[in-house]
Amino acid sequence: MTTTIGIDIGSGCVKTVLFRDGAWVAKRVERIRRRDPMELAKQGYDEVLEEARLAPSDVDYVATTGEGENVKFATGHFYSMTTHARGGVFLDPQARAVVDIGALNGRAIYIDERGKVLSYKMTSQCASGSGQFLENIARYLGVAVEEIGPLSKTSQNPEKVSSICAVLAETDVINMVSRGIATQDIVKGIHLSMASRLVKLLKVTGITKGKVLLTGGLALDAGLLAALQEELVNEKIAGLETVSHPDSIYAGALGAALWGEFRHGKLKELQQRVAA
Amino acid sequence: MSTKEIVARCEQLFEDLDFSAVKQWKAAAPGRKAIGYMPIYVPREIVHAAGMLPVGVFGGGDQLEVIQGDAYYQSYICRIPRSTLELGLTGRLDCLDGMLFPSICDVIRNLSGMWQILFKDKYVKYFDLPQTYDDATGGSFYVHEMQTLRADLARLAGREITDDQLRASIAVYNDNRRAVRELYAYRAKKPWQAPTSEVYLLLRAGCVLPVEEHTRLVRQYLAQADLEKRAQRDNARVVLTGAFCEQPPLGLIKSIEMAGCYVVDDDFQLVQSYLLEDVSAAGDPLEALSRAFLHHSAQTSSKYDEKKEDKGKFLLHQVKTRGAEGVVFAAPSFCDPALLERPMLQEVLAKHKIPYTAFKYAENTGQMAPIREQAGTFADSIKLWSAA
Repeated sequence: MTTTIGIDIGSGCVKTVLFRDGAWVAKRVERIRRRDPMELAKQGYDEVLEEARLAPSDVDYVATTGEGENVKFATGHFYSMTTHARGGVFLDPQARAVVDIGALNGRAIYIDERGKVLSYKMTSQCASGSGQFLENIARYLGVAVEEIGPLSKTSQNPEKVSSICAVLAETDVINMVSRGIATQDIVKGIHLSMASRLVKLLKVTGITKGKVLLTGGLALDAGLLAALQEELVNEKIAGLETVSHPDSIYAGALGAALWGEFRHGKLKELQQRVAA
Repeated sequence: MSTKEIVARCEQLFEDLDFSAVKQWKAAAPGRKAIGYMPIYVPREIVHAAGMLPVGVFGGGDQLEVIQGDAYYQSYICRIPRSTLELGLTGRLDCLDGMLFPSICDVIRNLSGMWQILFKDKYVKYFDLPQTYDDATGGSFYVHEMQTLRADLARLAGREITDDQLRASIAVYNDNRRAVRELYAYRAKKPWQAPTSEVYLLLRAGCVLPVEEHTRLVRQYLAQADLEKRAQRDNARVVLTGAFCEQPPLGLIKSIEMAGCYVVDDDFQLVQSYLLEDVSAAGDPLEALSRAFLHHSAQTSSKYDEKKEDKGKFLLHQVKTRGAEGVVFAAPSFCDPALLERPMLQEVLAKHKIPYTAFKYAENTGQMAPIREQAGTFADSIKLWSAA
């Protein structure tokens, strides 16, 4: 019986999952809100163990991802590309690309059916394609984060913002507000500009057809999903279909736990080979 | 001393760009002299036999702002000559009575010339190393080169350097090399117990400490490190190569480890592990040093390979004997020897199906995120997709 725990420390949330013999048993997500991510990782670890009624000694592999390199009790660490790819295929076996949009970065990952990364492209350090930027804008506009998606979908005349720089984009938004542009049109404009960046990343990876699964904190933003589909049409990329999954936010943690399971088996095999 | 205390002491020595340890050593007895040397290799035994302290000068690292040094080199030249000049021009190397510039590349050769012009009151020598390896030609050339150094240092010391003194120094350095070999072997066996960031600091301490003290410190660390219980992680085992001259910042070494790599062999501070076997402490000492260099020294890109089929042999040996799963090529930007040899080594690794990744750095590289990401995904690819 193999038990693995995957911990994904992002810039906005810490996500933890527990797997036992290939079955997903427990999950936790906790917003960081200026707290110590390492403590939240330990808290998530304790909570999933409690939910699964297991003890630390039952755990075979604790795998971290994201910013989790320094988690002291981890067995191993995997990089976000690797874990989102594996988690993406777990959530949707048909997915051939993953677009991970977290609080700080966006990345497009082209994968095969095993979750192996074939190529990838990340946003640069500029935060205008990230969840944190969207959250900031929502705060300026007085809109709750969960309202952004539905509001965006009601827009009739989206007003596009600068897609290059978060600072310029925020200035654009202030100008739009003073010009009396409707909130839903501003939000949709932001979604379109983010989608335009993400589609460009996807194109660079070389994928031309198949399902693209959204993962990370913004995956459940229905407005962004719709904007991505529109941008794919605009860019005349007919072969790609963007989808989301209710558990998309856990993709990194899931991938970590699954790779942890794989590594546990491999290490055991190596030990047996050495013993023989 | 505990491991933590040993590492803290080494870190203090590493960060001290005023070479206080050297000044203290000199102040402890009248007339003491210290001779600086640059990477990669000089026969420190000759300096030691002259009663002087050999001091490794490995550039200014990431804590030194280079202002004057930049005026002497074009922008397409690596950083170590600039920061070494900066150390010299700002008086930080005043405690040295001489400088040795071994043959590494044209840039360091030029630096030796600059040093002669800029520091006229100091002993400066471009120390040429042989590039042919038979005793009759390369050997006699090298013995002559060492004889010149011996005579120069004897003049500086005001006394002869006898064969017995040289043999005694050879024995002392043999012991140091054995300790360093033990350290490398221990790290390869238990890399979680002796992280490379610590091993590196321990090696760097050997730049400024008397060799006998350094040997004791290495052995003390080994004994202490083994007593500690550190968590073993599921990391990829890699050999790091290309960093033999300008050293990477400590943060880069830590980043590679943090990214999920156990460095099980490297070419940092090559001077301490360049000679692979004990040098004979019997017979003619210079002949013995020459034979060790010609026939039992590490391969590195500033050393000519006589036969094409020998290219990469040493790297393959490191991978095999250390149980490495891949190779990280980390070389300084604009380092001609390392970067020109890199494709040839990569070809050898590809032939043997050994995975590798490559990047460049400078001794003052500050942005570690891209390197962490690259080393981390490399470690992932080894752990998840390698055939083993």
